[in-house]
Amino acid sequence: MKKDVWHIGGHELTSRFFIGTGLFPSPYVQKEAIRESGAEVLTFAIRRINLASTEDDSILQHVEGEAFRFLPNTSGASTAEEAVRIARLARASGLSDWIKVEISANERTLLPDPMETLKATEILVKEGFTVLPYTSDDPILCKRLEEAGAAAVMPGAAPIGTGLGILNPYNIGLIVEEAKVPIIVDAGLGSVTDVAQAMELGVSGVLMNTPVAKAKDPVSMARAMRLAIEAGRLSYLSGRISKKRYASASSGHEQFIVK
Amino acid sequence: MQLIINGEATELEAGTISDVIRHFGLEERPVVVEADGEIVSKEQWPAIEVRPLMKIELVHFVGGG
Repeated sequence: MKKDVWHIGGHELTSRFFIGTGLFPSPYVQKEAIRESGAEVLTFAIRRINLASTEDDSILQHVEGEAFRFLPNTSGASTAEEAVRIARLARASGLSDWIKVEISANERTLLPDPMETLKATEILVKEGFTVLPYTSDDPILCKRLEEAGAAAVMPGAAPIGTGLGILNPYNIGLIVEEAKVPIIVDAGLGSVTDVAQAMELGVSGVLMNTPVAKAKDPVSMARAMRLAIEAGRLSYLSGRISKKRYASASSGHEQFIVK
Repeated sequence: MQLIINGEATELEAGTISDVIRHFGLEERPVVVEADGEIVSKEQWPAIEVRPLMKIELVHFVGGG
């Protein structure tokens, strides 16, 4: 079988798991979970350094020396202008020109602001970033983001950290059908069920943080999620059967012994 | 002189951005600097002079999804 690779911004990827680096119980558990996930892309946030503490709380000290691609996000931004500022700071690190545009206008739901997300995507694409916007699961909006030059589009399954799973599988399926860039389901997934469902809908990848980091055993959950991605992807490529209302026997009716 | 560092008014003797970095012991850390809204690359740190009430942001990567 041909190697099942995919591309973002000209960069070849093998893993379809983007893993977040927040909320893990310890740097050790995080490192092990990342290893088990098989992820090649790690997400980060940009924050002010805590100058009152001498402790180095930078995430990079725990992943240095390993060949990952970094996907910083613009979390904390509530406008396009703020997101662009955070993106520029992230790129100035010299580590990555990939950026996950994440603009939340509502503290309770953290749902993305579609207008501002589109605006920020347009600006950042012009500035030469590889832009991966986190957005709502609206097929037209996802198309608009693609047209604006997004390298991949990342519709949410459900609000961040909720673990509610794919609230609108019809929309995710439609987004995939229409897309010419990779679609990555980002946010709201909770378990392997959700992950397999996302992959069976034909998405190119999934981005998760909370369902791994906050699992009882994050390391084995990372592995479970990796296997679910693989299983879902294979199922998608293999073509599932259509659903039927009534039974159809597996062995036929012609040679029944009792007839 | 008084500088606004990461949103906090901070009294500090510093001539350049490099002095600010040194003051906080961040020389070896992956830090990105913004001064009055402009990003200051590491090469520019010794050359960019600070002035009273300059707004300086010292940021880095933290865990996130």
